[in-house]
Amino acid sequence: MRALAAAAIGLAAALALVLAVTAVGPPRGETSPEPLLTSAPARP
Amino acid sequence: MRRRASLVLLAFAVFCAALSPLLRWYAFPRLAKVPAGQYRTVVMEAENATLIDYGTLKPRTVPRLTVVQTLKGNVEKAREVGAETGRDVVVWDTLSYAAGPDGAMVSMIPERYVFDAHSQEPVHAGGEHVDGTPVRRDGIEFKWPFLVEKRDYRYFDLMTRTSAPIHYKGTRVFHGLDVYYFEQTIPWTKVPLPRKLPLGISPDTVRRLGLERWYTTRRMFWIDPVTGAPVNGEEIHSEEMRWTGDPGKEPIPAFSGHVKMRPDYVDSTVALVASQRQLVLLLTSYLPWGLLALGGVLLALSLALEARDRRAVAADRAHDGGKPERVTPEGVA
Repeated sequence: MRALAAAAIGLAAALALVLAVTAVGPPRGETSPEPLLTSAPARP
Repeated sequence: MRRRASLVLLAFAVFCAALSPLLRWYAFPRLAKVPAGQYRTVVMEAENATLIDYGTLKPRTVPRLTVVQTLKGNVEKAREVGAETGRDVVVWDTLSYAAGPDGAMVSMIPERYVFDAHSQEPVHAGGEHVDGTPVRRDGIEFKWPFLVEKRDYRYFDLMTRTSAPIHYKGTRVFHGLDVYYFEQTIPWTKVPLPRKLPLGISPDTVRRLGLERWYTTRRMFWIDPVTGAPVNGEEIHSEEMRWTGDPGKEPIPAFSGHVKMRPDYVDSTVALVASQRQLVLLLTSYLPWGLLALGGVLLALSLALEARDRRAVAADRAHDGGKPERVTPEGVA
Protein backbone atom coordinates (compact mmCIF):
# COMPACT_ATOMS: atom_id res chain seq x y z
CA MET A 1 0.00 0.00 0.00
CA ARG A 2 2.85 2.37 0.94
CA ALA A 3 4.63 1.47 -2.30
CA LEU A 4 1.54 2.37 -4.30
CA ALA A 5 1.26 5.71 -2.50
CA ALA A 6 4.94 6.47 -3.22
CA ALA A 7 4.48 5.63 -6.91
CA ALA A 8 1.38 7.83 -7.09
CA ILE A 9 3.30 10.75 -5.54
CA GLY A 10 6.09 10.35 -8.13
CA LEU A 11 3.62 10.23 -11.00
CA ALA A 12 1.66 13.25 -9.75
CA ALA A 13 4.87 15.26 -9.33
CA ALA A 14 5.97 14.46 -12.93
CA LEU A 15 2.56 15.45 -14.31
CA ALA A 16 2.48 18.67 -12.27
CA LEU A 17 5.97 19.66 -13.42
CA VAL A 18 5.28 19.06 -17.12
CA LEU A 19 1.90 20.83 -17.01
CA ALA A 20 3.42 23.83 -15.21
CA VAL A 21 6.35 24.13 -17.64
CA THR A 22 4.16 23.86 -20.75
CA ALA A 23 1.57 26.27 -19.31
CA VAL A 24 4.25 28.94 -18.82
CA GLY A 25 5.90 28.25 -22.20
CA PRO A 26 8.84 30.08 -23.75
CA PRO A 27 8.82 33.91 -23.80
CA ARG A 28 7.29 35.59 -26.88
CA GLY A 29 9.94 38.28 -27.28
CA GLU A 30 9.68 41.69 -28.90
CA THR A 31 9.77 42.92 -32.48
CA SER A 32 13.35 43.81 -33.31
CA PRO A 33 14.00 47.54 -33.84
CA GLU A 34 16.48 46.60 -36.63
CA PRO A 35 15.35 47.55 -40.16
CA LEU A 36 14.88 45.36 -43.23
CA LEU A 37 18.27 45.81 -44.90
CA THR A 38 18.99 47.33 -48.30
CA SER A 39 22.77 46.84 -48.16
CA ALA A 40 24.95 43.91 -47.20
CA PRO A 41 26.41 44.07 -43.69
CA ALA A 42 30.19 43.73 -43.50
CA ARG A 43 29.83 40.77 -41.15
CA PRO A 44 26.98 38.56 -39.86
CA MET B 1 14.53 3.70 8.17
CA ARG B 2 15.62 1.52 5.24
CA ARG B 3 11.96 0.97 4.38
CA ARG B 4 11.36 4.73 4.17
CA ALA B 5 14.43 5.24 1.96
CA SER B 6 13.24 2.55 -0.46
CA LEU B 7 9.83 4.25 -0.71
CA VAL B 8 11.43 7.64 -1.42
CA LEU B 9 13.61 6.03 -4.10
CA LEU B 10 10.54 4.38 -5.60
CA ALA B 11 8.75 7.74 -5.78
CA PHE B 12 11.76 9.29 -7.57
CA ALA B 13 12.00 6.29 -9.92
CA VAL B 14 8.35 6.70 -10.94
CA PHE B 15 8.86 10.48 -11.26
CA CYS B 16 11.78 9.99 -13.68
CA ALA B 17 10.13 7.17 -15.64
CA ALA B 18 6.91 9.18 -16.08
CA LEU B 19 8.76 12.41 -16.95
CA SER B 20 10.63 10.73 -19.80
CA PRO B 21 7.69 10.13 -22.20
CA LEU B 22 5.85 13.22 -20.94
CA LEU B 23 8.78 15.43 -22.00
CA ARG B 24 9.11 13.82 -25.42
CA TRP B 25 5.45 13.44 -26.39
CA TYR B 26 3.67 16.14 -24.37
CA ALA B 27 6.10 18.95 -23.53
CA PHE B 28 8.24 18.96 -26.69
CA PRO B 29 5.39 19.55 -29.22
CA ARG B 30 4.15 22.42 -27.03
CA LEU B 31 7.51 23.99 -26.15
CA ALA B 32 9.35 23.68 -29.48
CA LYS B 33 8.34 26.65 -31.56
CA VAL B 34 9.79 29.33 -33.78
CA PRO B 35 10.27 32.49 -31.67
CA ALA B 36 7.89 35.27 -32.74
CA GLY B 37 10.50 38.02 -32.45
CA GLN B 38 13.26 36.50 -34.55
CA TYR B 39 15.50 38.78 -36.65
CA ARG B 40 17.89 37.25 -39.19
CA THR B 41 19.83 38.42 -42.21
CA VAL B 42 21.45 36.30 -44.89
CA VAL B 43 23.72 37.61 -47.61
CA MET B 44 23.97 35.68 -50.86
CA GLU B 45 26.22 36.42 -53.81
CA ALA B 46 26.45 35.49 -57.48
CA GLU B 47 29.87 35.88 -59.10
CA ASN B 48 30.03 36.92 -62.78
CA ALA B 49 26.29 37.20 -63.10
CA THR B 50 24.42 38.37 -66.18
CA LEU B 51 22.09 41.30 -65.58
CA ILE B 52 19.81 43.31 -67.83
CA ASP B 53 20.53 47.01 -68.26
CA TYR B 54 17.07 48.58 -68.27
CA GLY B 55 18.48 51.71 -69.95
CA THR B 56 19.60 49.87 -73.10
CA LEU B 57 17.59 46.64 -72.65
CA LYS B 58 20.84 44.70 -73.20
CA PRO B 59 22.44 42.10 -70.91
CA ARG B 60 25.80 42.80 -69.23
CA THR B 61 28.06 40.74 -67.03
CA VAL B 62 28.72 42.08 -63.56
CA PRO B 63 31.49 40.77 -61.28
CA ARG B 64 29.13 40.31 -58.35
CA LEU B 65 25.43 40.54 -57.56
CA THR B 66 24.46 40.62 -53.87
CA VAL B 67 21.13 39.53 -52.44
CA VAL B 68 20.41 40.62 -48.86
CA GLN B 69 17.56 38.74 -47.31
CA THR B 70 16.20 40.09 -44.02
CA LEU B 71 13.62 38.31 -41.95
CA LYS B 72 11.93 40.10 -39.08
CA GLY B 73 9.34 38.65 -36.69
CA ASN B 74 6.39 40.99 -36.19
CA VAL B 75 5.36 40.17 -32.59
CA GLU B 76 2.40 42.59 -32.41
CA LYS B 77 0.89 41.23 -35.63
CA ALA B 78 1.53 37.64 -34.45
CA ARG B 79 -0.37 38.38 -31.24
CA GLU B 80 -3.25 39.88 -33.25
CA VAL B 81 -3.46 36.94 -35.69
CA GLY B 82 -3.08 34.49 -32.78
CA ALA B 83 -6.09 36.05 -31.01
CA GLU B 84 -8.06 35.96 -34.27
CA THR B 85 -7.27 32.34 -35.20
CA GLY B 86 -6.72 30.82 -31.75
CA ARG B 87 -3.34 29.48 -32.86
CA ASP B 88 0.23 30.14 -31.84
CA VAL B 89 1.33 32.14 -34.87
CA VAL B 90 4.54 33.70 -36.20
CA VAL B 91 4.46 36.60 -38.68
CA TRP B 92 7.62 37.21 -40.67
CA ASP B 93 8.06 40.40 -42.67
CA THR B 94 10.90 39.79 -45.09
CA LEU B 95 12.76 41.71 -47.76
CA SER B 96 14.84 40.24 -50.58
CA TYR B 97 16.99 43.10 -51.83
CA ALA B 98 19.26 42.51 -54.83
CA ALA B 99 22.03 45.00 -55.57
CA GLY B 100 24.61 45.28 -58.33
CA PRO B 101 28.36 45.68 -57.74
CA ASP B 102 27.92 49.45 -57.24
CA GLY B 103 25.27 48.82 -54.55
CA ALA B 104 22.47 50.13 -56.78
CA MET B 105 19.14 48.34 -56.44
CA VAL B 106 18.39 45.60 -58.97
CA SER B 107 15.14 44.43 -57.41
CA MET B 108 13.44 44.43 -54.03
CA ILE B 109 10.61 42.13 -53.07
CA PRO B 110 8.92 42.39 -49.66
CA GLU B 111 6.89 39.49 -48.29
CA ARG B 112 4.72 38.61 -45.34
CA TYR B 113 4.73 34.98 -44.28
CA VAL B 114 2.28 33.87 -41.55
CA PHE B 115 2.65 30.37 -40.13
CA ASP B 116 2.01 28.10 -37.16
CA ALA B 117 4.88 28.46 -34.67
CA HIS B 118 4.97 24.72 -33.91
CA SER B 119 4.23 22.96 -37.21
CA GLN B 120 5.26 25.70 -39.68
CA GLU B 121 1.99 25.18 -41.54
CA PRO B 122 0.91 28.40 -43.30
CA VAL B 123 -1.88 30.36 -41.63
CA HIS B 124 -4.08 32.29 -44.04
CA ALA B 125 -4.56 35.49 -42.06
CA GLY B 126 -2.75 38.67 -41.17
CA GLY B 127 -2.22 39.89 -44.70
CA GLU B 128 0.19 37.34 -46.17
CA HIS B 129 1.58 38.77 -49.40
CA VAL B 130 4.42 38.83 -51.89
CA ASP B 131 5.42 42.26 -53.21
CA GLY B 132 2.09 43.69 -52.05
CA THR B 133 -0.02 41.06 -53.85
CA PRO B 134 -2.09 38.83 -51.55
CA VAL B 135 -1.11 35.15 -51.78
CA ARG B 136 -2.34 31.92 -50.22
CA ARG B 137 0.66 29.80 -49.36
CA ASP B 138 0.67 26.03 -49.35
CA GLY B 139 3.66 24.25 -47.86
CA ILE B 140 6.75 25.71 -46.22
CA GLU B 141 9.08 28.61 -46.92
CA PHE B 142 12.50 29.57 -45.47
CA LYS B 143 12.44 26.89 -42.74
CA TRP B 144 11.46 23.23 -42.40
CA PRO B 145 9.48 21.92 -39.40
CA PHE B 146 11.31 20.58 -36.34
CA LEU B 147 12.46 16.93 -36.71
CA VAL B 148 12.57 16.91 -40.51
CA GLU B 149 11.51 13.72 -42.26
CA LYS B 150 13.31 12.08 -45.17
CA ARG B 151 10.58 12.90 -47.67
CA ASP B 152 9.53 15.52 -50.19
CA TYR B 153 7.88 18.70 -48.89
CA ARG B 154 5.92 21.41 -50.67
CA TYR B 155 7.91 24.64 -50.87
CA PHE B 156 6.56 28.08 -51.73
CA ASP B 157 8.27 29.83 -54.64
CA LEU B 158 8.48 33.59 -54.24
CA MET B 159 8.66 34.36 -57.97
CA THR B 160 5.82 32.19 -59.28
CA ARG B 161 3.87 32.66 -56.03
CA THR B 162 2.88 29.00 -56.07
CA SER B 163 4.08 25.92 -54.19
CA ALA B 164 5.78 22.89 -55.72
CA PRO B 165 7.47 19.78 -54.31
CA ILE B 166 11.00 20.10 -53.00
CA HIS B 167 12.66 16.69 -53.16
CA TYR B 168 14.68 14.98 -50.44
CA LYS B 169 17.90 13.88 -52.15
CA GLY B 170 19.79 12.22 -49.29
CA THR B 171 21.91 12.92 -46.24
CA ARG B 172 25.13 14.93 -46.49
CA VAL B 173 27.80 16.09 -44.06
CA PHE B 174 28.08 19.87 -44.15
CA HIS B 175 30.64 21.65 -41.92
CA GLY B 176 30.61 18.64 -39.57
CA LEU B 177 26.80 18.48 -39.31
CA ASP B 178 24.67 15.64 -40.71
CA VAL B 179 22.12 17.45 -42.86
CA TYR B 180 19.35 16.58 -45.31
CA TYR B 181 19.78 17.83 -48.86
CA PHE B 182 16.67 19.08 -50.73
CA GLU B 183 16.31 20.24 -54.30
CA GLN B 184 13.53 21.95 -56.25
CA THR B 185 13.44 22.83 -59.94
CA ILE B 186 11.02 25.42 -61.22
CA PRO B 187 10.67 25.11 -65.00
CA TRP B 188 10.46 28.20 -67.23
CA THR B 189 7.39 30.06 -65.98
CA LYS B 190 5.96 33.50 -66.72
CA VAL B 191 6.19 35.56 -63.53
CA PRO B 192 5.08 39.06 -62.48
CA LEU B 193 7.58 41.90 -62.61
CA PRO B 194 8.65 43.33 -59.22
CA ARG B 195 6.82 46.55 -58.34
CA LYS B 196 10.16 48.33 -57.85
CA LEU B 197 12.65 48.22 -60.69
CA PRO B 198 15.92 50.11 -61.26
CA LEU B 199 16.04 53.59 -62.84
CA GLY B 200 12.51 54.28 -61.59
CA ILE B 201 11.04 52.06 -64.31
CA SER B 202 7.60 50.69 -63.53
CA PRO B 203 6.28 47.25 -64.49
CA ASP B 204 3.75 49.05 -66.73
CA THR B 205 6.58 50.66 -68.73
CA VAL B 206 8.10 47.22 -69.36
CA ARG B 207 4.71 45.82 -70.37
CA ARG B 208 4.17 48.73 -72.77
CA LEU B 209 7.48 47.84 -74.43
CA GLY B 210 5.90 44.46 -75.19
CA LEU B 211 8.03 42.49 -72.72
CA GLU B 212 7.15 39.91 -70.10
CA ARG B 213 9.32 38.21 -67.48
CA TRP B 214 10.05 34.47 -67.46
CA TYR B 215 12.06 32.57 -64.89
CA THR B 216 13.54 29.18 -64.03
CA THR B 217 15.56 28.05 -61.05
CA ARG B 218 17.19 25.08 -59.38
CA ARG B 219 17.00 25.63 -55.64
CA MET B 220 19.18 23.67 -53.21
CA PHE B 221 18.95 23.53 -49.43
CA TRP B 222 21.04 21.80 -46.77
CA ILE B 223 18.72 21.37 -43.77
CA ASP B 224 19.55 20.49 -40.18
CA PRO B 225 17.11 17.62 -39.52
CA VAL B 226 16.73 18.44 -35.80
CA THR B 227 15.77 22.14 -35.94
CA GLY B 228 14.63 22.25 -39.58
CA ALA B 229 16.83 25.30 -40.15
CA PRO B 230 18.73 25.68 -43.44
CA VAL B 231 22.50 25.78 -42.90
CA ASN B 232 23.18 26.52 -46.56
CA GLY B 233 21.25 27.49 -49.67
CA GLU B 234 22.12 27.90 -53.32
CA GLU B 235 20.17 28.73 -56.44
CA ILE B 236 21.01 28.45 -60.13
CA HIS B 237 18.68 31.13 -61.32
CA SER B 238 17.84 32.47 -64.80
CA GLU B 239 15.40 35.16 -65.92
CA GLU B 240 14.67 36.52 -69.35
CA MET B 241 12.41 39.13 -70.88
CA ARG B 242 10.34 37.62 -73.66
CA TRP B 243 8.42 39.52 -76.32
CA THR B 244 4.69 39.29 -75.67
CA GLY B 245 2.89 37.62 -78.55
CA ASP B 246 6.13 37.12 -80.49
CA PRO B 247 7.72 33.87 -79.25
CA GLY B 248 10.04 33.74 -82.28
CA LYS B 249 11.88 36.95 -81.31
CA GLU B 250 15.11 36.48 -79.35
CA PRO B 251 14.46 36.99 -75.59
CA ILE B 252 16.67 39.35 -73.56
CA PRO B 253 18.53 37.66 -70.69
CA ALA B 254 17.50 39.56 -67.55
CA PHE B 255 19.50 37.64 -64.96
CA SER B 256 21.62 34.54 -64.89
CA GLY B 257 23.81 33.42 -62.04
CA HIS B 258 24.67 30.86 -59.38
CA VAL B 259 23.62 32.45 -56.10
CA LYS B 260 25.42 31.15 -53.00
CA MET B 261 25.47 32.11 -49.33
CA ARG B 262 28.45 34.29 -48.43
CA PRO B 263 31.00 32.09 -46.57
CA ASP B 264 30.94 34.14 -43.33
CA TYR B 265 27.13 33.76 -43.24
CA VAL B 266 27.47 30.01 -43.76
CA ASP B 267 29.84 29.84 -40.75
CA SER B 268 27.58 31.95 -38.50
CA THR B 269 24.47 29.98 -39.55
CA VAL B 270 26.18 26.64 -38.85
CA ALA B 271 27.31 27.90 -35.42
CA LEU B 272 23.80 29.14 -34.56
CA VAL B 273 22.08 25.95 -35.72
CA ALA B 274 24.62 23.74 -33.90
CA SER B 275 23.76 25.49 -30.62
CA GLN B 276 19.99 25.51 -31.21
CA ARG B 277 19.90 21.81 -32.05
CA GLN B 278 21.24 21.00 -28.56
CA LEU B 279 18.09 22.53 -27.04
CA VAL B 280 15.85 20.42 -29.27
CA LEU B 281 17.92 17.29 -28.62
CA LEU B 282 17.68 17.96 -24.87
CA LEU B 283 13.89 17.56 -25.02
CA THR B 284 13.72 14.82 -27.66
CA SER B 285 16.67 12.64 -26.74
CA TYR B 286 19.04 13.54 -23.89
CA LEU B 287 16.44 14.12 -21.14
CA PRO B 288 13.95 11.36 -22.11
CA TRP B 289 16.63 8.66 -22.36
CA GLY B 290 18.60 9.99 -19.37
CA LEU B 291 15.51 10.11 -17.16
CA LEU B 292 14.45 6.63 -18.24
CA ALA B 293 17.87 5.23 -17.32
CA LEU B 294 17.88 7.14 -14.02
CA GLY B 295 14.39 5.82 -13.26
CA GLY B 296 15.61 2.27 -13.86
CA VAL B 297 18.62 2.75 -11.56
CA LEU B 298 16.48 4.28 -8.81
CA LEU B 299 13.93 1.46 -9.09
CA ALA B 300 16.71 -1.14 -8.82
CA LEU B 301 18.12 0.64 -5.74
CA SER B 302 14.68 0.83 -4.17
CA LEU B 303 14.08 -2.89 -4.75
CA ALA B 304 17.54 -3.76 -3.40
CA LEU B 305 16.91 -1.76 -0.21
CA GLU B 306 13.49 -3.36 0.20
CA ALA B 307 14.98 -6.85 -0.26
CA ARG B 308 17.71 -6.13 2.32
CA ASP B 309 15.12 -4.89 4.76
CA ARG B 310 13.02 -8.02 4.33
CA ARG B 311 16.10 -10.26 4.65
CA ALA B 312 17.05 -8.51 7.90
CA VAL B 313 13.56 -9.02 9.33
CA ALA B 314 13.59 -12.69 8.25
CA ALA B 315 17.07 -13.18 9.85
CA ASP B 316 15.84 -11.71 13.16
CA ARG B 317 12.93 -14.11 13.15
CA ALA B 318 15.18 -17.13 12.29
CA HIS B 319 17.54 -16.25 15.20
CA ASP B 320 14.88 -16.87 17.85
CA GLY B 321 13.17 -19.63 15.91
CA GLY B 322 10.41 -17.37 14.95
CA LYS B 323 8.74 -17.90 18.32
CA PRO B 324 6.77 -15.12 19.86
CA GLU B 325 8.48 -13.32 22.76
CA ARG B 326 7.85 -14.91 26.09
CA VAL B 327 5.50 -12.85 28.16
CA THR B 328 6.78 -12.41 31.68
CA PRO B 329 4.01 -12.70 34.24
CA GLU B 330 3.55 -9.48 36.15
CA GLY B 331 5.08 -9.34 39.57
CA VAL B 332 7.50 -12.32 39.00
CA ALA B 333 10.43 -10.11 38.14
